[in-house]
Amino acid sequence: MQQQLALQDVTIDFGDGPLLKNVNLAVAPGESVVLIGPSGLGKSVVLKLFAGLLKPTSGKVLVEGKDLHALPAHEQSALQLRMGMLFQKNALFDSLSVGENIAFPMREKTSLDETEIQRQVDFFLEAVGIAYAAALFPDEISGGMQKRLGIARALALRPQIVFYDDPTAGLDPITSRRIIELIQKLREEQNSTIVTVTNDMARAYQLADRIVMVADGELIITGGKAQTLANKDPRVSQFIRGKLDGPLTGRHA
Amino acid sequence: MLKPLLNVIDDIGECLIFLRLILRTAYRSPCTWESICEQTWKVSVQSTPTTALAGFFVGAIMTVQFTMQTKAFGALGYLGGLSTSATVREVGPLLIAFLLSGKVGAYTSAELGTMRVTEQIDAIRCLGANPIQEIILPRFLGIVISSFFLLAAGLIMSIFGGMLMGSVFSGINPEEYVRHIPTIVTQFSIGNGLFKCLVFALILASVCTYKGYSATGGAKGVGRAVVGTAVMTMVGIVVFDWFTSLLSETALNLFREGV
Ligand SMILES: Nc1ncnc2c1ncn2[C@@H]1O[C@H](COP(=O)(O)OP(=O)(O)O)[C@@H](O)[C@H]1O
Ligand SMILES: [Mg+2]
Repeated sequence: MQQQLALQDVTIDFGDGPLLKNVNLAVAPGESVVLIGPSGLGKSVVLKLFAGLLKPTSGKVLVEGKDLHALPAHEQSALQLRMGMLFQKNALFDSLSVGENIAFPMREKTSLDETEIQRQVDFFLEAVGIAYAAALFPDEISGGMQKRLGIARALALRPQIVFYDDPTAGLDPITSRRIIELIQKLREEQNSTIVTVTNDMARAYQLADRIVMVADGELIITGGKAQTLANKDPRVSQFIRGKLDGPLTGRHA
Repeated sequence: MLKPLLNVIDDIGECLIFLRLILRTAYRSPCTWESICEQTWKVSVQSTPTTALAGFFVGAIMTVQFTMQTKAFGALGYLGGLSTSATVREVGPLLIAFLLSGKVGAYTSAELGTMRVTEQIDAIRCLGANPIQEIILPRFLGIVISSFFLLAAGLIMSIFGGMLMGSVFSGINPEEYVRHIPTIVTQFSIGNGLFKCLVFALILASVCTYKGYSATGGAKGVGRAVVGTAVMTMVGIVVFDWFTSLLSETALNLFREGV
């Protein structure tokens, strides 16, 4: 199969004009795509479209070649099992402990017995470096630890495709770097396809096979670091260099 | 002028669609017994003390109110029967519905609303699970089932409250108080009370889960969901109280004519 994820002529409109207009994007198996762009223009929306949380107004979302929104509910959730998502604000289950957060998907969706689940939970907590916090609750651990937990929960069912929505937001540079290294390590281990939203350009270059900018309802597909830096689109060059003057100025708060 | 009315109709319609979704999920992919029991237990424990206390005072109030009338007709012996009947048929279910709406309804819509705006509900879906099945259905059934327990608790306490008032205020002893309860409280009254209780519980359970599940927009959205739940359940309960009363009177008349 040539593409693992695809948007085909997707338009999405929440009632005040289209947020994305007839956009196309294909992601190959094992590829790492990074979405950048001014806030509020639809980066998270792209991830939610792929994950089946939002329905396009028109167009198709293909996951492993299947039209996600045309599938019956049980096939849709079977596909969703193959995808994991770290939410922008983590969306941790705040009534469950750290360990239970990771156990939740395994309890719901696998027939593993309790000892095996505990072993898996320990494995994931160890992998993201928060083993000591297993019995704490999500609001009792730091922001960086919450991100790690969100990542661990997203990976708990060993998905082939993983979405990371702003994995380094609000974290200090050292923690950010560790999180990105963690994401890369896990990606190599699972050989998974990942789509990451970040506006931290250093991390974006570190992580991306391809960078895609979301702006003006379009997806501006650039390439790796060199191609992105060389991109002629004035919006891209303004954005990645953080210039105050340019086509993006004054349009968004 | 027309717009608010249309909004209300929209809201009711969406709530009914949501109820249908819940019932369909219950039929096709039911949740576990454990989760239903857990929620039923939670709601019952949360509300038993308040319901019992309120029930006790309702019994006491009814007794005080009926003392005058029954005395005037020299029918003080029927005091217990009358006040219990009024509680079973009308005041009990209504009171419990109101108490639950204030307590469990607000709690549930705030809890679900918070889960919605913090994207925990989306996270459940992302993990391949069905949020209706996992979190809505157990809460819905928990509220419906526990409202019957609470009705029973409230009624028993109201008999005690009535007995106490009967002997302190009206001067009839507990034995006399309970003697005519079986005469006046017929199967029909009990059926009527249970039916009301079921209808009110269904209204409450569907409104609070619907409002919470469909909350949008941060803390404000959660606040709106809670207020919306309070308004919609209270109005819904009162309207359906009238409707079920009408219905059961009609049924009773038909039954009598038939006999
Ligand atoms: N479920 C939704 N309903 C209505 N509007 C939405 C929804 N999700 C996102 N939006 C709107 O879409 C726009 C883009 O949001 P988002 O994708 O989160 O931006 P970002 O690029 O910062 O991640 C925002 O204006 C937001 O209000
Ligand atoms: Mg976002």
